[in-house]
This record gives sequence, C-alpha cells and structure tokens, in this order.
Amino acid sequence: MLTRIAGGRVIDPANNRDGVGDVWMRDGRITDAPQGARADATYDVAGKIVMAGAIDIHSHIAGWNVNTARLLLPEYHSAAVARPAATPLSQVGWTTHETGRLYAAMGFTTVVEPAVSPQHALHAHLELADIPIIDKAALVILGNDDYLLGLLHAKESGVAVQDYVAWTLGMSRSLGIKVVNAGGAAAFKENIRAFSFDDVVPSYGVSSRAIVKALQHAVNALGVPHPLHVHCNNLGLAGNAETALTTIAAAEGLPLHLAHLQFYGYGKEGVRGFSSAGPALAEAVNAAKSVTIDVGQVMFGQTVTISSDVLRQFNARNRARPGKWLILDGDANGVGVVPYDYRRNDFYNAVQWAVGLELFLLIEDPWRVFFTTDHPNGAPFTTYPEIFALLMSRDLRSQWLSQLPPAVMAVTTLPSIAREYSLTEIATMTRAAPAKLLGLTDRGRLNAGAIADVAVYENDVDRAKMFRAAALVFKDGELVVRDGSVTNYRWGRALAVRPPRDRAIDHRMRAFYEDRYGLSDEFLKVPEHALGRPEPFTVVPCAS
Amino acid sequence: MEHAWIAGKAAPLETAIAEAAELFGASRYPVIAGLGTDVAGARAAIALAQRTGAVIDHMNTGALLRDLDVMRSSGIVLTTPGETRVRADTLLLVGSRLAETWLELSQRLPGKVQQSQRNVGIERRIIWLCPEGDLAMPASAGATIEAIDKDPRDLPGLLAALRARLAGRPTGKAGVSSGKLDQVLQGLKTARFGVAIWSAAILDTLTIEMMCGLVNDLNATTRFCALPLTPGDNAIGVLQTCGWMTGFPMRTGFGRGFAEHDPWLFDSRRLVDSCETDCTLWISAYRTVAPEWGEPPTIALTGRGAVFSLPPRVHIVVGCPGLDHFAVQHLASTGALTAVEATRPSDTISVADVIARIASALLGKGERPC
Repeated sequence: MLTRIAGGRVIDPANNRDGVGDVWMRDGRITDAPQGARADATYDVAGKIVMAGAIDIHSHIAGWNVNTARLLLPEYHSAAVARPAATPLSQVGWTTHETGRLYAAMGFTTVVEPAVSPQHALHAHLELADIPIIDKAALVILGNDDYLLGLLHAKESGVAVQDYVAWTLGMSRSLGIKVVNAGGAAAFKENIRAFSFDDVVPSYGVSSRAIVKALQHAVNALGVPHPLHVHCNNLGLAGNAETALTTIAAAEGLPLHLAHLQFYGYGKEGVRGFSSAGPALAEAVNAAKSVTIDVGQVMFGQTVTISSDVLRQFNARNRARPGKWLILDGDANGVGVVPYDYRRNDFYNAVQWAVGLELFLLIEDPWRVFFTTDHPNGAPFTTYPEIFALLMSRDLRSQWLSQLPPAVMAVTTLPSIAREYSLTEIATMTRAAPAKLLGLTDRGRLNAGAIADVAVYENDVDRAKMFRAAALVFKDGELVVRDGSVTNYRWGRALAVRPPRDRAIDHRMRAFYEDRYGLSDEFLKVPEHALGRPEPFTVVPCAS
Repeated sequence: MEHAWIAGKAAPLETAIAEAAELFGASRYPVIAGLGTDVAGARAAIALAQRTGAVIDHMNTGALLRDLDVMRSSGIVLTTPGETRVRADTLLLVGSRLAETWLELSQRLPGKVQQSQRNVGIERRIIWLCPEGDLAMPASAGATIEAIDKDPRDLPGLLAALRARLAGRPTGKAGVSSGKLDQVLQGLKTARFGVAIWSAAILDTLTIEMMCGLVNDLNATTRFCALPLTPGDNAIGVLQTCGWMTGFPMRTGFGRGFAEHDPWLFDSRRLVDSCETDCTLWISAYRTVAPEWGEPPTIALTGRGAVFSLPPRVHIVVGCPGLDHFAVQHLASTGALTAVEATRPSDTISVADVIARIASALLGKGERPC
C-alpha cells in the first residue's frame, strides 16, 4: 500500500526540512518519492502543516499510582459530573481507552509513563497494553530501594550497580531509569521529613548525590539511550531552585535529564517569600550542555498530583483540594496521590504558571527543553493545545498575565519576554528532540525508513484549535484520526531496552528476594503472554 | 467428564455457549456478578458489559467498598505487605478474622523483623484490639502480644478513646481504664514503623475512618501506616482492571451508554431482589460459590462442583486461574498484580475464553461492535 500525503508544509527539524512537498508512506514506513509509481491513496493537504507524530516523554498515564487516583476521585469522571465540554477534567483521559483516543486526536503517537515501580511493572504494562492507537514506554524507578542502597553502603563497584540496573530494566521492560527524590523516601521511612541533595539516608550512610551519581554512571555505561531521569529533592518548596542548580552542576558533563523543572523554579524573594527563579535556572540549563529538562507546566484548574515522591506528597497532604489524599509508603519509593486545584487568583499558583513559561522561553535550545505538564501534576495533558498557543504568542501571554494577581508581576520576568515559538521550534521540542532523547531513531522524523507516524494540522491562527484536533493522524502508516476524531482503533506497542548483564545478578536477586521477602523474584516479571496483545513490545537498542 | 449443562442437562460446550449468548443477548438489563476471575476474565467481562449495557459487580464488593469509601472521602497512609514484613517493628491488629482473610499472615509477618537495614533481629511488638478469641491463633510466632480483649462492638469507642488520649484529651466511657489506654498508646507512639492491620470484612466504614484517623495522627511524631487486608476471589485484581477500563470500581453500569458508578443502584443482589435484572451471569472461577441471593443465576461459570438451589439455565465449568491456566491476579503476599503460571495445567476453558466466545456469538447476531 503506497500512500501520498500531498502538498502540505512539511516541518521536519530532524532532517532540516521546512517546505511545501509530499510525504510518502509504504507498509508502515516513510519512503522516498517513488519514481513513476502511483499512490494507492492520496491525501491532499495543501495549506496544512505536516509533522512527525508527537512524542511525550513524561506523562503519568498508567499503573497503580494513576489507577489509585481514578479510584480516589470518582467524582471527576466525566460521567459523574455534568460539566462543560471545554473544562479540562471533562477530558482528563481518565480511562486507558480515553488516554489513547485523546492523545491521538492531538497528533501524539508515542507517550512515556515515567514512574513505574518494579513491583507494579506488570500492572503498568497491562494498562499500557489497554491504551489504544499510540506506542508507549515505561521508566522504572530506582534510588530508594534497599538493594541499591545496600550496594552503595557496601561500596560495591560500578559494575555491580550496572548489573542491577540492567536486571531491573529487563525485568520491568522499561525504556529507562528514573530516580525520584533519591534517598528521600528511604529516609522518610526512618521518620525524616526533609531531605536535600547532600543529606544522608540514616541506615545506609549514603547521600542523595551519591545515589544520583551512581545511577547516572550506570545508565551511561550500559549505553541506555535515555539519560538518568531525575526528579530532584525538595519539590514545590520556596527556595528550591538551589536544589535544582546543585543537581544541574552535579551532571558534570554527563547526560542527565531533570524532570518537571518548573516545580523547582522557586526563589524566596518578594513579600510572600515566594518568587520565580526561572531565569536563573534557565541560565544554568543554557550553560550545562549535557543537561536536558522538561518543564511540567502548570495550568489553572482542578487536577490531581500523582507522585512517587512520597515524602513531598506526605508533607503536602493537608493542602489537598479537595481534602482527601492517599499516601502509600511501601516498596522503596511508594507514592502519594493528592488532588489539587490550581487557581488563577492564587498568588502561588500564578507564580508557578509563570515559572513554567519562563523556562520554556528562556532556555534557548529547543533540543534540550521538553514539553510536559507532568500530566496530571501540573495540568492534564488535554491542556497542551493552550500551552502551545501561549508559547507562540506574546499577546496571548499578556492577556493571561492581565488576569493574574498583580503581585505576581513583581516576582516574574515573564511580561518582559518577547520570544514566540515558531512551528519549527514546536516540532523540534515535541518530535525530533524527544526521539533523540529517548534513543528512538525510528520516529520523530520524516525521512525514508522512519515509522510512518505523521500528524497533519490545519494552519489555523488559533494555535490551540489547530493542535487540539489534528486534521489527519497516521500511526504506522494507518489513518487513525480525521478532523480530530479517531477513525481506527488499533494497538500500539511498548518500547523497552534490554541491556546485557552478567547473569550472576539473576542469582543474587533471587537470593535477595527470597531472603528478605520470602518471595521468588518471579513476581516482578512481565511475561509477554500476560498482556493479551500480539507482539506487545519493541526492543530499543542500547549503544554498547 | 461433563463441562456444561443447559437447564441441568449435560450439553456440548459449544451449545451451552450459544445458549448463554442467546440469553445474554435477549436480556434487557443483564448483570455480571460474582466476578471471581483473573485479570483476563475481568477484562473480557467488563468489555462485554460495555458492549451490552450490563452492570458489573463482584462478590466481595461490599467489603472492598468499605475501605474504598473511606479512602475516597478522607485520607489514608498505606503500606505494603513487603514493607510490613521487613520494617514494621509494631503491628496494631484490629478486630478478629484477620488470619481467615489472609491465610499466610503469621507466616508472612514472623515474630522478628527480619532484614531491614537497621532492625536486624528486632522482636516485633503486637498490639491487638478486640481479637475475639483469635489470640489462640499462632500469630507471628514468637512475638509478644498485648491485647485489649473487648467486645468488637466496643471497637469504635476504643479507637475514639485512643485518638482522644493521643490528642491529650480526657476520655469518657471507653470501657478501658485510661492507664491501659495510655499504655497501648505508648506502644504505638514508640513504634519506629508501625502498621495497623484490619479486615473490612468485619469493620464498618466509621470504624475504618477512625482507624485511618488514628494512623494519620500517629504520623505527627512517628511513622505509622495502614495495611487493610484484601478480600479474596481476586477482588483487588478485578477492582484495578475495572479502574483502568472504566475509571470506576465495581457496581458500575453501562445501561446508558457510558460508565456510571453507584454502589446502591448497581448492587447485584439488590438488582436481583428487586427483579430489575432479567439475566445474571455469575462467575466464581476460584471456587464454587453460589450467589447470596436465593434464586440461581441465569448463566453460571464456576469451578467444578458448584451447587445451586435450582440448575442455572446455563452452567459451564471453568478453569481455576493459576491452577488450570496461566493468570494475572492480585496476590496478598506481593500486594500487586502478579503473573502466575498454571500449577496443574488442564484444557478446562477459562472465563476469558468463554466470555470472548459469548461476545463473538453476540456480534454474529447483528449487535454493533464498539
């Protein structure tokens, strides 16, 4: 089957392409324009914008944590409350089915669930397998687990850490490693309520810094394409920009990804002791070329925070809006689910909103800043179209700023920032760069041989409208969306790395689980045949 | 050996499945209940309910919703069975029938905290409120047990009194001396990592809410968590599946074309007692349980040997998940959805396969795919 997407403006930063032309697809892949051949199907997209399918590197869409939020908040289900269609939670993507449908409608074709605990990897993959249309992947969490802390306490070699990391990636079928408040959850179990980068986990005598560095080196040495994905300490606290700056400095020239940096962009200036530190963080990121970040933009409205930073969520539980919450302190990181309502007229929430946009606009290289709301922590992913519009229009930002508490203007530089994102920069940030960051050489681009994930948009001056409902979306060459509506439900795959390991680690882990938990480590396995889909996985190669 | 019956008479499996599809397809208000099945069975059942506008319920939804109702209206600090095993230096056991709900309790939580980095070899302290004679059970062999052995009806008052003492307030008639209360409280407050264990099978929601409040209050100065025991027949596995597929727990109906959750409206027993449903599909793959309500289900998928007051219209024997066939199910020991290989593989059909075949037979009758 030969398909031609004809006459659109093709924006493909991975190949430095920006111009009117055709994109050809055959058997699920992009192909060069064939000589003299006739397309079996032609889509005339003259006047429209053609990009690769978008990739979301950090969105909490599946697993025990997300499912617990669903069960905690039945009243947010679109069926439970009649609410206007335009409000975010009417389209929060609350089920696996809706998640796939809503992402696809916006032209997203690959989404990464960034917080899977090894104990719940099978659960996460069962949910991912039930998300239709798109491809997906998981990042598995290490860094508060007794085995790793034990290795570091015993000053075991870097190779021992690598074997353990490789084993964990293989068992959980993940694309990369995430560390969440390294050491903080372990310290919390010993009744410590605040934990910074150079604080030490009591029983183990190991600092947060040591954990991050050990994992960073292990991921790098294994050739796992995605750098260590770091959720820093002190999330959400005034003055926590110091923590982020310290962590950025600790990258020491090696790849390191800092997640949802907005939540660390706070100074202590101003009458309320809460201000934007966005410019200082942006400057540090601009200077640290090995560091990448995603933003975690806040948007106003009801949402729910879902985080494996159990220490932070415990401390935030009494600020839940509405006043209910769940903390699970167990199995290494645990999780906290705390509903929250970001309010436009709340000074602190408005500053958070401004910090996110400052990071987007002041970090110069669109290859190193990634587009996220940390769904649903900053906002549901369904707010993405509004954020694209804000990035592309200073006037729109001014309108929003005029509705915020005036005191916000004294603690942010946002009103003075003139930059407007171009479509090419949007395409870089949401297509070419995420593919590169995750090591997915087969997507985020439109050259021959790439997977035929293609999104076509109306070139509407209303950018939010444009990005909310793609005109056409192709997944693996199949038409799946037309005019923002899904036309074809299909099943994507989960992408995972499988780095080599010394098999001795298998025996060590079996002994560890039997000795400590009285369980076979088999319970951590994610068998393919458990997922109920044909070929549920695709292996992503490692560099080594 | 026979595997299927129509109105009590042995029938070929194909015929029984065709008859089940006929009955289900003709129903104006079908209910899928029992739901004692693995994740694959639950996935198939929920998908069938979505397609046909049926209601889904589980035989243990009552107990499940008591815990869940507290969770979704207040706050709860939970932990896992694994963390309890390796870290809990203090267990607060609440009420009776705990070992009945979790058969492996004393084996999984031995008297010594085993290998946590710090607590090597520390003896576990057990405080037990209202054990009702369960004290004889060899709970966590070797541990010392302190008990307040009151009538279980006194439990809410006892918990309230403990919370009051914890907040430094005087207590009224708790039926226990304040000296005893303070002694118990001292044990809780000096826990380094305490875990409260209860079973919603015997507690009401107000008691559970009081427990959650006590646990939260203890966290002001030390670490304390809750470990509500989970009901059987894979209730948690079905709950999780239902959560991701519909956004809701069980007692969810699809009659209006979308998922609606209402614990009263979609209670399968009420739907049968009030004659609102005209077709029940009962599933008990782990056991041979018959519904609590009197009359037999219309269609029954059970383990071999289930006895009903009258024969169901269709009865099919299904394999036991994890015994006859591979299964994903929630395990109390792991606290997670876990893959379990068949321990005595057989050809007995699985719930998921029966429902898939009912669903495809319905499709053949002109029912619209969704």
